[in-house]
Amino acid sequence: MTDDIKVSIRNLYKIFGPDPAAALQHVYDGTTKADLLSEHGHVLGLRDINVNMRAGNITVVMGLSGSGKSTLIRHLNRLIEPTAGQIDVDGEDVLAYDEDKLRDLRRQVMSMVFQKFALLPHKSVLENAGTTLKVRGVAKREYLAEADKWINRVGLEGFGDHYPHQLSGGMQQRVGIARALTSNSPIMLMDEAFSALDPLIRTDMQDLLLELQQELHKTIVFISHDLDEALKLADHLVILKDGYVVQQGEPQHILLHPSDPYIEDFVSDINRARVLRVRSIMTPLVGEIPSNAHGEVDYDDTLESMIARSGGDTSHSYVVMKDKQPVGILDMTSLVRALVPRAAPEDGVRNY
Amino acid sequence: MAFYDSLFNSLGLRDWCDAGKTADGPVSMADLLAKAGVVKEESSFDIPFPSLDELHNACASVGQSRDVTKGVEDGFLAIKGVLRFVLDPLTQPLSWLLEFALSTIEATPWWIMFPILALVVYLASKSWKLVVFVIACLSFLAFVDHYDHAMQTLAVIYVCAFLCVLLGVPIGIAMSRSDRLQRIVIPILDMLQTLPPFVYLIPLIFLFSITEPKLYGVAIILYAIVPVIRLTDLGIRLVDKDVIEAANSFGMTDKQKLFGVQIPLALPNIMAGINQTIMMSLAMVVIASLVSAPGLGVLVLRGIRNLELGVGLVSGFGIVLLAIILDRVTKAALNRVNAAQKH
Repeated sequence: MTDDIKVSIRNLYKIFGPDPAAALQHVYDGTTKADLLSEHGHVLGLRDINVNMRAGNITVVMGLSGSGKSTLIRHLNRLIEPTAGQIDVDGEDVLAYDEDKLRDLRRQVMSMVFQKFALLPHKSVLENAGTTLKVRGVAKREYLAEADKWINRVGLEGFGDHYPHQLSGGMQQRVGIARALTSNSPIMLMDEAFSALDPLIRTDMQDLLLELQQELHKTIVFISHDLDEALKLADHLVILKDGYVVQQGEPQHILLHPSDPYIEDFVSDINRARVLRVRSIMTPLVGEIPSNAHGEVDYDDTLESMIARSGGDTSHSYVVMKDKQPVGILDMTSLVRALVPRAAPEDGVRNY
Repeated sequence: MAFYDSLFNSLGLRDWCDAGKTADGPVSMADLLAKAGVVKEESSFDIPFPSLDELHNACASVGQSRDVTKGVEDGFLAIKGVLRFVLDPLTQPLSWLLEFALSTIEATPWWIMFPILALVVYLASKSWKLVVFVIACLSFLAFVDHYDHAMQTLAVIYVCAFLCVLLGVPIGIAMSRSDRLQRIVIPILDMLQTLPPFVYLIPLIFLFSITEPKLYGVAIILYAIVPVIRLTDLGIRLVDKDVIEAANSFGMTDKQKLFGVQIPLALPNIMAGINQTIMMSLAMVVIASLVSAPGLGVLVLRGIRNLELGVGLVSGFGIVLLAIILDRVTKAALNRVNAAQKH
């Protein structure tokens, strides 16, 4: 994991309507989304988005429908043009690109995976996966060989000659991922890529993505409306609401320190034992390793596995190991305390 | 004394009216009846609509309805020279194509023609059953000595439908890419589709000589080109927006998108349009026998003109057989395209 910022979004605004420039001034002057719609007839899509996406990280943009997350991801490869703001990829301002450079960006730098798969129904799985290379003018034999490699990598050996309609949804999305990987672009945009799949298949696909990511270290921008999915995948989590960023940061941090009632509400339904990890709640090691420790646990273990291991005994404590070095102490009492959300919604009634 | 006399008198236009009176104008039916002594009784129920003829009776300076039709005719004849000068060379290749197709099909003996047709049917449909059916139908037509006429009809349809596709698909593509063009073209298509087929023939007879094949060629193409244009436009507009977005996101150029995504995905609709175009060509080629189109239509026309019931019915049945053949073969091809891109 490196700290290079691959994609940087700064002060991004998007307004839908007949005269976005005039409406933008109202937004600068502090008009809210609802007022902008009722008084000026414009829809505020995105408001003052500032996100830095690091190379090799999975940045998950999460929000409910209408929060502007799909609009945001389409700004990165300019399928949607912003009203104001700046988008830098590798330090270059994408918005200044002319048509040719933009096309090169889409061909070489960014590839996209879609919620509804968007495969070509008249092409075989192999040809679909090779589309991203084909548009660059790569010879057929070469792009089919490359596509074959990735089709096998996503677990579709032997399906190359099938047509998309012969595959299940999960398999079709594997083709979608293979298609994006075939382009060998450093950035992958995934627009609710797993939202159309069954829960079990979705988990499979998440595992597949994490497995691929361990090997490939792409910069992935993942859009999701599912908090469990977001927490599972994200290195950096951005939570959108009504077109603005409510909170962003490390997912464990957001879970333990929600900055806003909206997010508190959001995270209260989560199975915290499964999501939270030992590293987030341990106390850093000061001095010697205590002698009463019941054993060693890994830095990245989930709390769920710890509860199973301790047999529910809250008097236990463990030494936390990272790369075979002791880095902290885990006290089971603090673990149990972390399982309770700071503010549970009363009587299950949602405030938002 | 005409009904509207008083109107013109009260407006003080009597002098102007009388100035338009000419002694040797064309005689109208009403004048003849008046001369013969037939006088209609007038009551207050009989207020005539102030039509041109009625006003003319009251005021000679107002023109008659027949001046309108005459004006249209004169207008058309006036621009005919220019139209002919432009359209004649433009449509000449159509004449050549039709003549070439007709003479080729005439020169080809049946024992070569049958295998060729069987092969075409097989390539389009990949179904031996259909090949057998087509050969059986053609054998029947040949058996009752309608082979030559049927082949002429097929040749005309082949040329006209081919040109319809050649012109219609690009027009449809252009329409799908420009809303403005679509707004302009759709009323024209509506007009072409609603004009009764006979009406096409009237101006064409004046434009082209009746001995030229392009006369009926143009009539058939104008009539049959509509569905292929409409369905190409529709098909391309209906292509899944998600797939188009994906194509954009991979950096496809407009050309790659058109030939790699839009046309292939619109193909089922385009094929349905071609099917309709072929069927409409068949309908028109029968009517166009009025203006010397060869084929089974000629026999139907003979049946009507000479009241030869048997001739008319047998050739009519022949047309039905041709229609079934053409429809089945194009539908089979369409189904193959559909099967290849199920969602």
